[in-house]
Amino acid sequence: MLTKICSIANIGLETIPVIVEVDVAQSGFPGFTIVGLASKAVEEAKERVKTAIINSGLEFPSKKITVNLAPADLPKDGAAYDLPIAVGVLIAGGQITASPAVNLKRTFFYGELSLDGTLRPTRGILLLALHAQKKRNTTIIVPMPSANEATNVSGIKILPVKTLTRLIRHITAGQFIIPLKRPKAKKVTEKIIIEFDLNEIAGQELAKRALTITAAGGHNLLMWGPPGTGKTMLARALPGILPPLTDREALEVTRVYSVAGLVSPGEAVIQKRPFRAPHHGVSAAGLIGGGSNPLPGEVSLAHLGVLFLDEMPEFQRSVLESLRQPMEDGTIEIVRAKGHVRYPASFTLIAAVNPCPCGYYGHPKRECKCSERQIAKYHHRISGPIIDRIDLSVSVAAVETEKLSLTRQNEINRLSSKEAKELVVKARQIQTKRFAQSAIYTNSQMRNRDVKRFASLTSDAENLLKIAADRFDLSARSYFRLIKVARTIADLETEEKILPRHMAEALQYKQNT
Amino acid sequence: MKKFNRATGRLAEDMATDALLKNGFKIIQRNYANRYGEIDIIAKDGETVVFIEVKAKTGNRFGTPEEMINRKKLTKIRQMAEIYMSDKNSLCRIDVVAIILNNNKQLVSLSHYRNVY
Repeated sequence: MLTKICSIANIGLETIPVIVEVDVAQSGFPGFTIVGLASKAVEEAKERVKTAIINSGLEFPSKKITVNLAPADLPKDGAAYDLPIAVGVLIAGGQITASPAVNLKRTFFYGELSLDGTLRPTRGILLLALHAQKKRNTTIIVPMPSANEATNVSGIKILPVKTLTRLIRHITAGQFIIPLKRPKAKKVTEKIIIEFDLNEIAGQELAKRALTITAAGGHNLLMWGPPGTGKTMLARALPGILPPLTDREALEVTRVYSVAGLVSPGEAVIQKRPFRAPHHGVSAAGLIGGGSNPLPGEVSLAHLGVLFLDEMPEFQRSVLESLRQPMEDGTIEIVRAKGHVRYPASFTLIAAVNPCPCGYYGHPKRECKCSERQIAKYHHRISGPIIDRIDLSVSVAAVETEKLSLTRQNEINRLSSKEAKELVVKARQIQTKRFAQSAIYTNSQMRNRDVKRFASLTSDAENLLKIAADRFDLSARSYFRLIKVARTIADLETEEKILPRHMAEALQYKQNT
Repeated sequence: MKKFNRATGRLAEDMATDALLKNGFKIIQRNYANRYGEIDIIAKDGETVVFIEVKAKTGNRFGTPEEMINRKKLTKIRQMAEIYMSDKNSLCRIDVVAIILNNNKQLVSLSHYRNVY
């Protein structure tokens, strides 16, 4: 007998429907064959399915079983086909009969089986849910540990399954599984462990301000200065002031994390804005994504969040260069022999750089031991096109000893992370409203025509910018960049128009070189 | 020595046949041979045609009979079975009966393994 079970294949963030056809023949030698370009993980489903069925107290048909994963020319990977294959074998083998109440044509089965018949957390559940949403009246049957991921998607019936035995009782209409409810639209309070509070960092007021602007407008930031002045600490303090993800953003981020298998069991949606800090030994594939079935890399995992590159010149040049496309387009396209995959990669880049290999070039008290050539070579490691895409540049100079003193006096006027976050959240809300009709979220993502539309420069501010442009010989790109930064600074003050003082502040963060 | 083994094999096949009959199998043919070799017993378990390889050992000094059955041997049986099945249409499978005898040719243990291929 032949049975067809619906499932899906994930290629990057795209989903393709897969029909799992199971045939149990009435003649011939017993055997179990899977065709349809199954990878090793799918091939091994045979043993998992067989053992899981037996351990669920059912009989595995000792007949000739053929499984076809259609379309036959699409490579299939992952363990998610375990469940559809198991259900197909049981129905086709006549072990169970699907009740008419279970419409197999509109039900997607998806999940990895454990040898004891329980279902294991499986990645890509959110994508399955989004796929099922495109058709009306669909049901998805997914492992209970991962089922919450699907609850963000409306218009589908989500049936969480714990064990194969329980699922069989559902299919045979013995005892139906209760569909998961969508969570009420209550705001889940964010739990963020703040590694560093801004007020723990001595001095560096300018850098803290730049960090606030970055968090508010999503601008790329370059911090340079000698070792030990707090560059890394400042970057680590950033997660504490980043605004929470909006619902729309959260879904986008969760989609990427779902594919990467990084949504923890039971979690419905990623709520924390991503902050990724890869080590400088990272490979190009690790950073932008890769593998023969390309998985998202750090840039995609930092989507709508922050990518922090500490000691940026220490990264391999080819690795840094691979950042160009995502920094420009907000997406990354990975091409492999098997095909190409596109992942979102709209991140805020925070880079920390020493001024020279020894770190003390331009230090007020210590001598730099590097030769001119060494310094030039060091600077060359970061190419112009990358530097050109950085909106804010700030010097994190050595801290005066006075500011380091541990007395309470000093800490009174310091900006705390909580205060900074309030400012940031307010500025983000203005931007969310501003870009409600467009596909972007922050000022930094504005294209030139958006800048013209939304900047609302006062004429004084524009004059100031023109003078600066003449004086410093600014490129067209820097010109627009300064307006974007000024827009964020104005948003931080909830000012509708960009005033000269906003523009003046933006000019401070211009790059010197 | 060779002769001795053949006699043992013959004895073991008889023991296996008795055991199969006791389990409700119907014997179709014994020592079915074609150009690939010989199948010890062909029987019917309900509607399923069963090809049975009998393996006997005297004592356990040289390992268990189960160890004597390998993939190559099974592939050979499979080939012969396919030829046998070529003009028939029914379910079929390959079983192994492993028999251990003591030095007086008395039965020590008999195990029936179903669907081994």
